Amino acid sequence: MPDLILILSLTALGYFAGSWAENRHYRSIREREKQLLHIPAITMKDIPYPDGEIRSSHLVEGSAVISIDYFKRLLAGLRNIFGGTIISYESLLDRARREALLRMKESAPDAAVIVNVRIETSAIGKYSAKRNIGCIEALAYGTAIELNKQ
Amino acid sequence: MNYTPKLPGHNHNVTPVSPLRELLVLLGGLLAVIAIVYLLLGLGADLLVSHISPATEQKMAAVFSSRFSPHNRPTPREKWLQSIINSMQEKGCVDLPYPITVQVADSKVINAVALPGGRIMVFRGLLNIVRSENEMAFILGHELGHFENRDHLRGLGRGLVFAFISTLTGSSDGSIARLVARMAQVTESGFSRGQEEAADAFGLRMMNCVYGHVGGATDFFIHMPKKLDPGHIGHYFASHPENKKRIQALLVLQQKMGYQSGPLTPLPVWHKDSEQKKN
Repeated sequence: MPDLILILSLTALGYFAGSWAENRHYRSIREREKQLLHIPAITMKDIPYPDGEIRSSHLVEGSAVISIDYFKRLLAGLRNIFGGTIISYESLLDRARREALLRMKESAPDAAVIVNVRIETSAIGKYSAKRNIGCIEALAYGTAIELNKQ
Repeated sequence: MNYTPKLPGHNHNVTPVSPLRELLVLLGGLLAVIAIVYLLLGLGADLLVSHISPATEQKMAAVFSSRFSPHNRPTPREKWLQSIINSMQEKGCVDLPYPITVQVADSKVINAVALPGGRIMVFRGLLNIVRSENEMAFILGHELGHFENRDHLRGLGRGLVFAFISTLTGSSDGSIARLVARMAQVTESGFSRGQEEAADAFGLRMMNCVYGHVGGATDFFIHMPKKLDPGHIGHYFASHPENKKRIQALLVLQQKMGYQSGPLTPLPVWHKDSEQKKN
């Protein structure tokens, strides 16, 4: 019985704490996306400005690590048995990618544009003992282009 | 090329499904699958049990004999337990297709189990709280009932099914395996209750056959230490309400069959001595 109580309480904790953290994070993401909308982050390699206008170009990157909660892992574990879309992980990845992009933009506040943007994802703690820690990292990087002041 | 900054509208990367609904659907599905598999394979095991000959059972028992190897010389306690079993068989109370041997296991567990191959394993913890020969005879009679009804083999079959399901689900996530284990245990305990009741009735019959009365049959349940954790004790004491039900069922059966109560046979003198030495 104690193990069942432990599972249930961890699941409930995961659900409530996880939802609270997720909603809070999404609010912050939406707000900052609006604020940083003036910096375009594009995947093209071409720089849409003539050489004379460019003051500097440098690598910028932003990364975010988001952890899985107990509830999400339980849902994913159940999905592993039946197959199908693991929807409980979708919001995790979405948050990680958007947060990484935002941090990348925040590290280049003066950039006119960030070109050649790439996003990479990796799992952290996948092979840790007992596999109890599970989280993902999203890394966004690109080349920030700053223009001469006119 | 003209770049127009735009905020994402609808988020296509996140499915708008309530996670709680998802949990209910998946858990319900898993439960249904487990229940069906468990019932089907369990029924299969039950069907097979009736076709297992005593010779095959002896072969199966070889698996256990390596773990519970019998002593070369039985201890006085084992001789005493064996004599109770022998008197049941000699008086023609029970007719089993193979000899029954009793063995004492050195463990604090308060339990006794019927193993394939006609072996009854009595744990020291149980011997230490028994107060009369009649109580012990009821317990041994109960175990003989399991042999008579072939419950020991049924238990094995269901155990295998249980292990099979656990392996299937265990590979995905530790917590799910634990959840499944708990669910299967609840099913199992419900299933085995009927077997325990049948074995209780058989134990009562054995007592009446050997002693001519059933005095002391329920004593064991009554003076069982109450503080014992239900998690560590065996099938005699699933839980306290369960105990009361069993005592009640035994009393009802006693009345129905017209069994009388009678004087208890005391334990052999050495029993107390060895108990003191052990403690």
